[in-house]
Amino acid sequence: MDALRSWFFFLVLFLVMYPCVVPVVYSETSETEAASALANAEDAAASAFVVVLEAERAGVNVSELLIRLNDAAEDLSKAEISYRLGDFQTAIVFSGISSETCKAVNADAEELRLEALGPKYMGVWLRMAGSVLGVVIVGIGGFWSWRFFKRRYFERILRMKPEVNSDES
Amino acid sequence: MNLENYRVVFAAGSMVLMLVVAVPSISLYVSFPRGEAFSEFWVLGPNHMAEDYPFNIRVNETNSVFVGVGNHMGVSSQYLVYVKFRNQTQPLPEVTTPRPSPLESLYEFRAFVANDGTWETPFAFRISEVTRQDSSIFLRRLSINDQDFEVRSSARWDSEHEGFYFQLFFELWLYDLTSQSFRYHQRFVGLWLNMTGSEG
Repeated sequence: MDALRSWFFFLVLFLVMYPCVVPVVYSETSETEAASALANAEDAAASAFVVVLEAERAGVNVSELLIRLNDAAEDLSKAEISYRLGDFQTAIVFSGISSETCKAVNADAEELRLEALGPKYMGVWLRMAGSVLGVVIVGIGGFWSWRFFKRRYFERILRMKPEVNSDES
Repeated sequence: MNLENYRVVFAAGSMVLMLVVAVPSISLYVSFPRGEAFSEFWVLGPNHMAEDYPFNIRVNETNSVFVGVGNHMGVSSQYLVYVKFRNQTQPLPEVTTPRPSPLESLYEFRAFVANDGTWETPFAFRISEVTRQDSSIFLRRLSINDQDFEVRSSARWDSEHEGFYFQLFFELWLYDLTSQSFRYHQRFVGLWLNMTGSEG
């Protein structure tokens, strides 16, 4: 009889406490998840931005990528604001959307960067080769011009006749 | 001129020509000084002009402005704009030793801006709950772009300027690649809000 009474007591206690405990636990989990999702979205935005900058340095026109990154930034801002207002579910949703956009931008920027690197390296090599060739041509040309000039100079000197002046003093 | 002088002229001329021919390669390794790197930061009135800024605020009346950033940093940049709210006694960002205001931000915008590009966004705000008591006014809620925020800020009567004043201000932060975080970019703009006739 005592066991039945204890069991009944715990059952009542559980039913009374359930509505108080579960939402708190759920809310804490949700907050942790939202914070984690936000951190992931921020990391994704930061790394996408770095890759876009590298693509820009490689000569890619990044305006289209920046437009997409701005969409992701808007979603990230919404997520941050929702988190601050305690709306963790919305924060998780917007963080997820932002992360996905950033990952897609990251992949596209990397692809465009690699595509742009080939022509860029080719351009660098062409400029280097052109400069080296130019320097060699100028060097050899200068040397031959100098030799030609020197020969003409001596010929001119040798063609000169000594002038005889009378000494009347 | 004797032969030795001619030799010097030839050598110098060849050197100059070689340098000219090598310029395309040299330019790959030598960076030329750029202009000053800076960012513009502005708030424009509802008509997209630097006029008609909201000043005399009424409860439940929506006020609009535009917030914008211009990037002249030499590369694409990532910006963060914090929106903060204060009364006259709360701190603004420091100008002499550039530091952001320690106040919590209510709202934020993030933007990626191409070099020499601009970014602009509409900003709408509405004061929704105000209580006035003798020489103080208590502001409870502020709505920004249809999101409600609890502000809980009070202002005392400013006898010099004859009003109850609050300030809504915007801080500009820039993403720093070295520290991989945003840092305060030493720019802020603000709107003074006179709540004297807010209840009327």
